[in-house]
Amino acid sequence: MCIEPCTDVVCSFWSRLNQGPMTLTITLHMLIILPMIWIYFDEKKKMEQGDIPEE
Amino acid sequence: MGKPSVWSSNRFWRRSATWVTGVSAVLLILLTFDSMSQMQMGTAQDIKNKVDKRIPSPVVINYKIDYQLSRKRGHEVPIIGGMDANGNSKYEEKEKFFGRDNYSEKEARELIHLGKLTIQAKNCMDCHTLLGNGAYYAPDLTKAWLDPNWNTLAPAYGGKEYAMATFLQNPPAMAMHERKMPNLGITKKEAKAVVAYLKFMSAIDTNGFPRNFGKIKGAVDAWK
Repeated sequence: MCIEPCTDVVCSFWSRLNQGPMTLTITLHMLIILPMIWIYFDEKKKMEQGDIPEE
Repeated sequence: MGKPSVWSSNRFWRRSATWVTGVSAVLLILLTFDSMSQMQMGTAQDIKNKVDKRIPSPVVINYKIDYQLSRKRGHEVPIIGGMDANGNSKYEEKEKFFGRDNYSEKEARELIHLGKLTIQAKNCMDCHTLLGNGAYYAPDLTKAWLDPNWNTLAPAYGGKEYAMATFLQNPPAMAMHERKMPNLGITKKEAKAVVAYLKFMSAIDTNGFPRNFGKIKGAVDAWK
């Protein structure tokens, strides 16, 4: 089985996610960084189309 | 003027900051609820049903408490009432605490509550550390109940708990280190309650904290 049984005292979603090496860290960073990449390309597209209003 | 870059755009950084702050806030809320479930104190029923809890019910003072290396978790864990073949607590072996091993949940809770109040009133944390809070002028008390030194004193006092209670009522008379603990005027009743609190605290699963406790010779099997 690729998912190890939970070894924590009180098991939860987070404790399961925390069992692998850096799995919790990587998941949380992905959650934050991936949408930022989308925000980057979205802004780039708007800039190229001239959709950005003057500040 | 060159081509405008996204990296120098206010909008990009504002949107990113909003996203990061929003996600972090939601995460903190979720993790707070997770911590709350981890910190929930167990009940006497949990002990009866052999359900492990980080913070066991106060009735844990009726049981024998041990501290063993868990290969699975990579640090020492409290073993309550004997250990089974898999290295888990059995919640079976009892141990007399001041002559009794049948404290009800209410009695045990009142006892450790008085112990907690005494620990707060006497400012133990001015010198000692409890569960990561306090000072390191005097020994860490988180696992003090399991300190093997008390086992050597136990026979002379009729039990570990009596030795600890006697010490607490007049520490200079039983000084074990050059750095003596002062007499804080702890009464007999308070001393019993403090010892109950210390026993209860040693049964709390602290993820192996304090880390150096396992290295005390004789404290746990793993380092012998």
